Amino acid sequence: MSIRSCALESQAFLALKDAYEHREKGAAAARKKGMKVVGELGFDVPDELVLAAGMFPVRIYADPEKSLEETDKYLEYSFEPVVRAQFEKIIDGTYGDQIDYLAISNSTDVIIRIFLYLRELKRVEPEKNVPPITFIDWLFTRHRLHQVRDEFVIGLFKKQMEEWAGREITDEEIRKAGAILNENRQALRDMAALRHGTEVRISGTEAMVIIGAGFFMDKEEHTALVRQVTLDAASWPVLTGPRVFYTGAAQEDNSLYDKIEAAGFVIVGEDTDWGDRSYDRDYNMDYDPIRAIVDRYMLREFSAKKAFVSQRVEALDREVNAAGAEAVIFYTNQYDEVATWDMPKQRKSLEARGIKHITFGRMQWPVSKNEDLDAKLAEFAQAVKGGAE
Amino acid sequence: MAEERKEGASKSSVVKKLKATKAASVYQKEWFFGMKERVEREGCDFAVLNADVPMEVFRAMDIPFVVNQWWAAICGAKRMTRKYFGLMQENGYRPDLNSYDAQALAESFDPDDKKIDAEGNPMGPWGGLPRPTISITRLTGDVQSKIFGLLAENYGADLYVMENTIARTAPLNWYELAADRWEELYDKDRIDLAVEELKELIRWLEMKTGKMMDINRLEYVMNLINEQESYYKKTRDLIASCHPVPVTVVDTINAVMQAQWQRGTEWAVGHAKSLYEEVKALADAGVAAVPNEKLRLMWIGRGMWQDFAFYQRFEEKYGAVFMWSMYLAMGADAYIRNHVEEDPLRALAARFIGMEDFLHMPPWNSSWFIQQARQNDIDGVVYMIPDNDIQAVEGSYFIKKALEDAGIPVLAFHGDPVNPRKWNAETMTALVDEFIETRVIPANEKKKK
Repeated sequence: MSIRSCALESQAFLALKDAYEHREKGAAAARKKGMKVVGELGFDVPDELVLAAGMFPVRIYADPEKSLEETDKYLEYSFEPVVRAQFEKIIDGTYGDQIDYLAISNSTDVIIRIFLYLRELKRVEPEKNVPPITFIDWLFTRHRLHQVRDEFVIGLFKKQMEEWAGREITDEEIRKAGAILNENRQALRDMAALRHGTEVRISGTEAMVIIGAGFFMDKEEHTALVRQVTLDAASWPVLTGPRVFYTGAAQEDNSLYDKIEAAGFVIVGEDTDWGDRSYDRDYNMDYDPIRAIVDRYMLREFSAKKAFVSQRVEALDREVNAAGAEAVIFYTNQYDEVATWDMPKQRKSLEARGIKHITFGRMQWPVSKNEDLDAKLAEFAQAVKGGAE
Repeated sequence: MAEERKEGASKSSVVKKLKATKAASVYQKEWFFGMKERVEREGCDFAVLNADVPMEVFRAMDIPFVVNQWWAAICGAKRMTRKYFGLMQENGYRPDLNSYDAQALAESFDPDDKKIDAEGNPMGPWGGLPRPTISITRLTGDVQSKIFGLLAENYGADLYVMENTIARTAPLNWYELAADRWEELYDKDRIDLAVEELKELIRWLEMKTGKMMDINRLEYVMNLINEQESYYKKTRDLIASCHPVPVTVVDTINAVMQAQWQRGTEWAVGHAKSLYEEVKALADAGVAAVPNEKLRLMWIGRGMWQDFAFYQRFEEKYGAVFMWSMYLAMGADAYIRNHVEEDPLRALAARFIGMEDFLHMPPWNSSWFIQQARQNDIDGVVYMIPDNDIQAVEGSYFIKKALEDAGIPVLAFHGDPVNPRKWNAETMTALVDEFIETRVIPANEKKKK
């Protein structure tokens, strides 16, 4: 299923689609207004501090069409394909021209390596057009010692943002940014109710656009558009077809979702950072500003990369239940395979509850390289439908 | 006849007779069976540790343990790899991922692990691990918590994890700072956190095992390690200064690696001392590992376990001797932390937080390789780039560039030290032949001029 005509008739959706498809526009407009742009690599860069510094956050993303000639010189084969393509844009000057600073969070091993490589690249080949970099070294295990450490780490990030901004960031500015982002998250949760509820009115493909646009545009503008599209979508036709939950590789575009929904499924939720996980848990307005940031990023739903298998099993059960999914698609790209360690026990737990599943492993990126994917999805759709009858 | 040809093909056969190498192999087996017998007799706690967990704590608290990666090597040597591959698959896991780290996990799925076959031989490696009650890893990679968590679950053991932080400052001369000036080497807050992590680990172990940490004992263990590693430093420095060298990597890799798993014991100190004395005796006697030594080669990467003879194939033809590997040199430069008595926990923290970075983080690895190449008068570097494991990647581009910018030729190739399917001895030998002929010899001649 591609994006439906009802969505394309919504002016709000069209504006979101424009931002999603033309990802450089938001940053370019912000720079025209004199704002600095911060590229974010890794899913745990606190937007609160970027906004509080008066800067414009954008998510670093890969271009599947770009040759990786430069990247192949620097990265070993075991770097996952999406990150390789992101790296290419960082070192070939693309981002050097589009952003002012690069903030990297240690959301997964491969990203940590990218930071170390970029730091070294800047040392030995300073002529490269790579923006100034900072690194956020979170600890994700949920212990008091690590929470305190994270407050120190976020304090360092705040200092870096202040240095880049050339001024102090006040607590009031952070709280204000927290409120803006909470509004945005709430708007997305309200939108998601139209995916998770008894009647599904927003497809996964459409949701990808609605959520993903927010990584490239002004947050308040995004909130307003999400609220409007949620109102519009209340009258969109109800989607039929088996309700499926997606887990695994984050999808930077909607080509995979297109295929899954073309096979007859409706994607009612996902645990990825380009989807539902990105707006989980609010900034706590009652906390000290730094503590509130740590609380939000440390305690939101578990990521596949930084959690125990047992935590991931419980998380998937919880999310599948919340989305009312009747099937689950596991999907991992070659070299991006951490999540595969969770899957045997996740599958077992799903099976115990009668939830069907299919696993796609060692997948190629971009999605179009996987020739037999459509057929396998169609077969699975049949199996799920058969089971439902 | 075959033996004669083998002897003739390698002039380094003399050093294969090092007593220290054989002693290490014999001891590790004796030690394992003794430890296993104790665990079964006493019913005491037994831990499986990832290689980067500070084993000194367990040594000091007298908690029996094995290191996961050491045990993986034993499983490999006992030819369990194929069976474990199947067991992982049967249980729904990808057997091709992190297979080295997952050997103990695979063993935990084996219903035959403790059984005896029809001929009376144990079916598990050395009769299998004792049942672990403790499973501990540091979070230096995304998959460790998964593997150690599953291992704990399968054995009914308790899981404990220690966090990891990334260096913000990375002084190039870490090898000069590590032993005495580690406060200059690391960000202070990273050591502070690691000390707190150690305190929490110790408290957790005290609660779990009923044993109390004796800080004097820890200090003693730390000093034993300093003594052991100091012998490695003397051995490395001695080999570096010898022209020709008395031993090659074929001898030093195994002698050092096996004993490193026993660090913090009197045996390991004695073994390191005996290694030094043996090498010194050879050097004093003017024994050459390769009598016609002309070119000195450095091996960067894990040991080529599946084809150790590879290291010797270039000796007769070119007088090229592989005389440097990280195994001895890391012992020499990475482990020693003096002044333990001032604060044993801080010294220990300063040891374990950098260990992975010295090898895997540019620029620490590249700057050290250059310094070592110079100290060892290296003519060429053969560098096996790990392909299949994101944790093992180390900035191969930067390493190669740094060495070549320093005028040292590098042959970099992609390989897997434990997967024979990814290793073609003939192709590799030809590659190194060509490298020596076209790069190393000309560079060496230029250097002489």
